[in-house]
Amino acid sequence: MSATNASTEVPMALEARDIFKHFDGVHALSGVKLSVKTGEIHALLGENGAGKSTLVKVITGIYTPDSGEILRNGESVEFANVRVANRAGIVALYQELSIIPSISVAENIMLGEQTPSKGGIVQWAELRKRAQEQLDRLNQKIPLNRLAGELSPVQQTMVAFARALATDARVLILDEPTASLTDTEIKDLFAVLRKLRDQGVAIIYVSHRLEEVFELCDRLTIMRNGETIITKDVQESNIEEVISNMVGRAAGQLYPERGTATTEVALTVEGLNGRRVKNVSFTAHKGEVLGIGGLAGSGRSELLRILAGAQKHSTGTVTVGEEALPSSPSVGKALDAGIALVPEERRSQGVILSASIQDNIALANIPSVSSLGIVSGVKISTITKRGMLDLQIKARGPHQNVGELSGGNQQKVVLAKMLARKPKVLLMDEPTRGIDVGTKAEIYRLIRELAAGGTTVIAVSSELPELIGMSDRIIIMHEGQISGEVEAAVADDELLLTYCYGKAN
Amino acid sequence: MTTTNAPARAGQAIGRMLLQGGTVVALLLLIIFFFAMRPDIFLTFVNVKNILYQVSILAIIAGAQTVVMVVGDFDLSVGATSSLAGAVAGAQMIGGAPIWQAISVALLVGLIVGLVNGVLIAYLNLTAFVATLATMTSVVGFAFLVTEGTTLFNFPAEFNELGQGKFLNIPIPVYFALVISVIIWAVLKFTTIGRSWHAIGGNVEVSRLSGVNVRRARLLAFTVAGLVSAIGGILLAARLGSASAVQGSDNMMFSVAAVFLGMTVIKSGMANLGGTMIGVGIIGVMSNGLNILGVNAYIQQVVTGIIIILAVTLSGLKTRER
Repeated sequence: MSATNASTEVPMALEARDIFKHFDGVHALSGVKLSVKTGEIHALLGENGAGKSTLVKVITGIYTPDSGEILRNGESVEFANVRVANRAGIVALYQELSIIPSISVAENIMLGEQTPSKGGIVQWAELRKRAQEQLDRLNQKIPLNRLAGELSPVQQTMVAFARALATDARVLILDEPTASLTDTEIKDLFAVLRKLRDQGVAIIYVSHRLEEVFELCDRLTIMRNGETIITKDVQESNIEEVISNMVGRAAGQLYPERGTATTEVALTVEGLNGRRVKNVSFTAHKGEVLGIGGLAGSGRSELLRILAGAQKHSTGTVTVGEEALPSSPSVGKALDAGIALVPEERRSQGVILSASIQDNIALANIPSVSSLGIVSGVKISTITKRGMLDLQIKARGPHQNVGELSGGNQQKVVLAKMLARKPKVLLMDEPTRGIDVGTKAEIYRLIRELAAGGTTVIAVSSELPELIGMSDRIIIMHEGQISGEVEAAVADDELLLTYCYGKAN
Repeated sequence: MTTTNAPARAGQAIGRMLLQGGTVVALLLLIIFFFAMRPDIFLTFVNVKNILYQVSILAIIAGAQTVVMVVGDFDLSVGATSSLAGAVAGAQMIGGAPIWQAISVALLVGLIVGLVNGVLIAYLNLTAFVATLATMTSVVGFAFLVTEGTTLFNFPAEFNELGQGKFLNIPIPVYFALVISVIIWAVLKFTTIGRSWHAIGGNVEVSRLSGVNVRRARLLAFTVAGLVSAIGGILLAARLGSASAVQGSDNMMFSVAAVFLGMTVIKSGMANLGGTMIGVGIIGVMSNGLNILGVNAYIQQVVTGIIIILAVTLSGLKTRER
């Protein structure tokens, strides 16, 4: 670089100053500071829900911050939308949004404003040449004419990555780019990233894989609860320090007392295999709250879905009490056997937003509220009233639409719906996602009361403090398998994180 | 490198086509069936010419439908728009306006209907179903107003010539259908807007985040559909030598059917013009063949529905296996 004079300050490629952003009264970002130098790879770390994604979305113009300032090369900028941010050289590559399956690889790489054209006519030769250049930079041999939807997931990631390169990004934000790559491919990717860094590109690298961060990155910033905790050189840090900064200190008396678990086995799972689930065996007891943790994609949600009959499994058995579930299960059969699921995506999988509380609760209980195919309004209203009273659902009445309720009360409707089936085993996927702290405490209390009443609760959570606080026992999954099991009373975040990253005991 | 691979690649392409081509095979089987039934009539020059003449206007409307369906939407108002355009042109000419003016105003009307659809859907976020159902309803109403509920006729002979005349013994609407199809195909294939339409139809969110102007592209797709539908409607009025408020309405269902049939032809399962034309061919051959066999005319509509169900079910099975 030519700017060798240390006294003249080289402006940061990208700087975020005192960014505040809140949604529905919840602070997602409170005074976040991030500064990324030209020609560095900067790791952005934090637990799920720490605010990394929100920060990335503010930087790329998807969200507008409530207050604070974004500077690009020392100048204050405001990005009205993604296109404006792209033109300023800021490009984010999202793990979940990668490719368009129905068009060719070449077109995927040169999408949108990158498409070379003269007078509105696509210049195919030029397009293919430039697409090929990007693939060459990545050492990828992918046929340009193939439909992107026909590629393997790895190749699809590479195509998405080639697209980011094609936009001539000066600030490149990568969100878990290695999630579906093999070791060789990761090596290739790292080589490319280092080359880009040496060419003066600033790279923000969001990852859960700490080993990668220490291998690749120059500096790191750790976020927790919507705040930036620390920024320092990677060489001056170590994994232990990073983990303890990510974890911080857990909240106080959010969680009720444990100790309702019995020794009576309520659920036995043996040798379960299926999509993203490999050879999983465990037992759960009557009155126990069993927490299941693991990184995103570790198979924890899929495990719950198999148990609830919502996803097929290839081999293995599930036994409730003494009764084995049929080998080709359905949600209906699982419910009849006493297994109920409160799903992860409340708004799309848990409730019908446009229907009333009463109709939502009736939905999962049609057998018990109807006879000879005729639904009884009296019976529906009875179970609805009981559910609303037991769970203290705050609403104008049983006829209010669920879409008008707060997140916490919506979650209670899902619970009420399932509890009316009197399940022996209640599965909950992210029981408190998007719920304010006060209602969280209520949900934890409800879970414990259910357990005290003899129900077995199996809850997946990506928040470690929650996992420890609400559970009696914790199972951690890594790449589809159980990588560790621990009594919650003696668990701590660091141990669980080690299991999450798949490290041996 | 590309030249040496060319034969191998062509072989691959043919293999893929046969594998994918259940719908094409269906068209061939239909042709063979009707030929076997009436070898004296079915494949004669006169009858093939008849088939082409009969499907030419459907081909134009189906081309319009293909554009919006590439974007992942659909347009229920294409048939009504074509009726209105025919009626407007007719009313103008009866009122003494020159032919060029009558046609221009009719095209403008189609453009405006398409523009309204586009604004409602792309900018006011109505679903395509609701928006085009509503515009269809109003447009039919306008067409009744323009025709005063009657059938307009007595158009200038030069105008009727557009729909009834021949060039090199082939009816003129066939040329129109050919030229419009080629233009739509080329726009879809070679222009930036065409490729944006494909990208949006594949995944709206990825397109938006990649800087594709999704709203403008959808607006344009509906506008094009409105304009092209109007061309079809004007030609239909010329061919019939008359214009009524409902004469284009059958073409709406048949155009959607043709595009659906065409979607089964290619691997990505997207709407595509070549496939649409095969779909138009199936519908045309069927209706002509059944006519020749003296089968009740309404049966063709029943059979068309069944064929769509078969084709879409089969293509669904194919993707599920993958």
